Amino acid sequence: MPRRQLIFLIGIVAITVAASVMTVVWRNEPLLGLDLQGGVSVRLAAVGPADEEMLDRAVEIIRDRVDGLGVAEPEISRTENGVMVSLPGVDDQARALSLVGTTAELRFRPVCRLYSGGTSRPASGVVPAIPASCEAVATGEVVPAVGPAGVTLPEDDHPGDFVVLSLAGEVGRQRYLLGPSLLTGEAVSEADALFIDYQWQVGLELHEGAVGIDGFNAIAALCFSGSPACPRADGSANGRLAIVLDGQVVTAPSIRAPEFSRDAILISGGFEKVEADDVSLALRYGALPVELEPENIRLVSATIGEDSLRAGIVSGLIGLMLVAVFIVGYYRILGLVALSSLAVSGALLWSMIAHLGTQSGLALTLAGITGMVVAIGVSVDSNVVYFEHLKEDVRDGRTARSSVDRAFPIAYSTIVKADMASLIGAGLLWYLTVGAVRGFALYLGLATILDLVATYFFMGPMVRLLSTTRWFAEHPERFGLPSSGAVSATAGHLGRVGA
Amino acid sequence: MSILGGLYRGESAVDFPGLWRRAVIISTVAVLIGLTSFGVRGLNLGLDFEGGTSFEVRSPGTSVAEAREVLEQLDIGDARIQIVDGDVLLIRSDVQDTARAAEIRDVLAAELGPIEAFEQVGPTWGDEVTDKAVRALLVFFVVVALYIAVRLEWKMAVGAMVAVAHDIVLSVGVYSVLQFEITPATVIAFLTIMGYSLYDTIVVYDKVREIVGRLGATDRYTYTELMNLSLNRVAMRSINTSVTSAIPVVSMLIIGSLIMGAATLKEFAVALLVGIFVGSYSSLFLASAIVARLKEREERWRLVFEKVRSRGVVEGGPTRVIGRQEAAVSDTRAAPRSSSTGGPARRRPTIATPGAGGVPPRPRKKKR
Repeated sequence: MPRRQLIFLIGIVAITVAASVMTVVWRNEPLLGLDLQGGVSVRLAAVGPADEEMLDRAVEIIRDRVDGLGVAEPEISRTENGVMVSLPGVDDQARALSLVGTTAELRFRPVCRLYSGGTSRPASGVVPAIPASCEAVATGEVVPAVGPAGVTLPEDDHPGDFVVLSLAGEVGRQRYLLGPSLLTGEAVSEADALFIDYQWQVGLELHEGAVGIDGFNAIAALCFSGSPACPRADGSANGRLAIVLDGQVVTAPSIRAPEFSRDAILISGGFEKVEADDVSLALRYGALPVELEPENIRLVSATIGEDSLRAGIVSGLIGLMLVAVFIVGYYRILGLVALSSLAVSGALLWSMIAHLGTQSGLALTLAGITGMVVAIGVSVDSNVVYFEHLKEDVRDGRTARSSVDRAFPIAYSTIVKADMASLIGAGLLWYLTVGAVRGFALYLGLATILDLVATYFFMGPMVRLLSTTRWFAEHPERFGLPSSGAVSATAGHLGRVGA
Repeated sequence: MSILGGLYRGESAVDFPGLWRRAVIISTVAVLIGLTSFGVRGLNLGLDFEGGTSFEVRSPGTSVAEAREVLEQLDIGDARIQIVDGDVLLIRSDVQDTARAAEIRDVLAAELGPIEAFEQVGPTWGDEVTDKAVRALLVFFVVVALYIAVRLEWKMAVGAMVAVAHDIVLSVGVYSVLQFEITPATVIAFLTIMGYSLYDTIVVYDKVREIVGRLGATDRYTYTELMNLSLNRVAMRSINTSVTSAIPVVSMLIIGSLIMGAATLKEFAVALLVGIFVGSYSSLFLASAIVARLKEREERWRLVFEKVRSRGVVEGGPTRVIGRQEAAVSDTRAAPRSSSTGGPARRRPTIATPGAGGVPPRPRKKKR
């Protein structure tokens, strides 16, 4: 019988150790939130007039963009003439800017060819009706406006014109000559980074109708066949379609099929995970109601003073120690089991937070830490529910050993019931909310699942293994259980009642 | 202490149903105070919800603590202070009145250094966030109520929802009465309290279900008596859990805010502390009282009640005097159950002892 328990125990301890070692080896560290470690603050000013409503809408979209990354818990607020965005722990200011995004519209433009020419302005020539043939540019019939930096300036970036834009991240180096915009971000309903065929890709879902899949397929047909509007250029087998955001080409995939179904469009391009995430974010939350221009980017310190943080950590540790003393004092050796169980779930939780913090920008804020402190209380409770059940059974006259086997399924069923309510709450809050509440939901959910895991695979088996020892049968009081003396005392008490 | 001792040794001593009436009165009063204060004084919403004014002061070398001292003289000690690019203080306070903001600006300029920027800022926790959170909460209440109704029973769902609502009103009420500032962290604390309260209530209910499933079929005890037994059996767990959950929070309150002077932690800790104790209290006194009241109205339990009362003296007369008898009687289950598989308690009446009556409960012999 204890064999299965032993396997559980060894398994969970091995997993815990492996997770902890990996966290150390990979140098995963939790990403501390704005309130705890500060970050980058980007101040954006509206170009042109903007009323409060437009700015509020912009705040919402930017929050979606940044939040879409995970739960980075940005701080976004409206200022008098713009928006201020603070991101935790982002030390790469360029990335912060590209995340926040500044422009008005996402556009799909066909790629005519890579561009290597120089400055030419102003734009000249009349663009023929859409779809405009790239030959118009090749023959010099139409000349795109190219500013001093080698790309079309934002003020000349009209949707109906040929433009020269560079690839995001390779400003000024990789430049494309692009045709007029054929479709806007309105067509996109959903976009996600997916790991398919051993590489990161972006899955795209469009709306129905002309501003949606039909419009997209019309373009796809042009590009696939390499028609003049979307020619095969630079040695590519098919025409390419550029996705343009903030006046920069996010990506320019070649179109490999003449027709796509609405919800099965994949963009591949040797993306890193971060890139795939950023592209899908750009696709999802394309349009801002006002054009915003970065005014300044600055490093900001934590909002919670270092004094508060230190006080929080010191008091947390002392609190944890007191809990340990209480538990061990009350439940003796079972208390030690409870503490080890807590250590197991704690180590696993830490590994996950560190992993998510490093990989997905999950930020650990004061709210998250609170969630965890309370989760510790709930984890301890799983042990308490079981131990109290044990005591009760022993008092009812059962041997300690048989109580151990009997009480666990009952106690575990109670724990599952109660934890399920927490999980439902965590799931709904995660799914339906934004911002800080979402972060809290994630921590609550993770901690609850780990509580169930640690209780089932560690605490239960551990107590059962201990219960097979002679020591356990002979000295139940060392396990915080009523000794045989207590049982007879209860019996005496019952006798009185019966009389 | 003797009551605690009794609970510790399992000699159940507390007459919970006897306390229900008082608990309901106290809770009603507390809830009314909370609601009234909420209606009259409202909540002290902070910078994150209402927006305020931000000041940027170029003041190289000034520490956050020094800046805070200056702000405290201005009565805005709770403002958020950040250091930007090393030498600019970014101070955000919830002051919305422009005249007052200008006043503060002048003092800051005199005390700390040249003001670089000064403007109104909007909330970071916009209406959109609140709307979504409220909608999520409503959905959450409905789903969890359904869950409890399916897993336990709908009457318990009613009790749990009332208890959770009670806990939330009281915690929010504390903030309203004392006019603590509400921050996003506070909202998280409220959610935490809600989750905790619900968790605690379900644990209590599951014990009730177990005991009723085991002893209910004997028809010898009224639902209230069974409830009392369950509460006595689960009380020690509730107390222990509250204590272990409260210890870190108390430590945060005492060490963090009183000794090390971190004011932000204080209000937060108070809210959590209130929530933890109210959460346990409501499970033991409110959620149980509601379910008992609802169940006693059921045909079956009314019949049992009549039967028990007609036997009057044997069962100790008026329903409320129960504790020790219950604890004793529960032991009879050990005999019939020892032969069964020992799975979780069942509702099937066939398993429990039929109401043979008369036989005094006897502890099961120790098995080796």
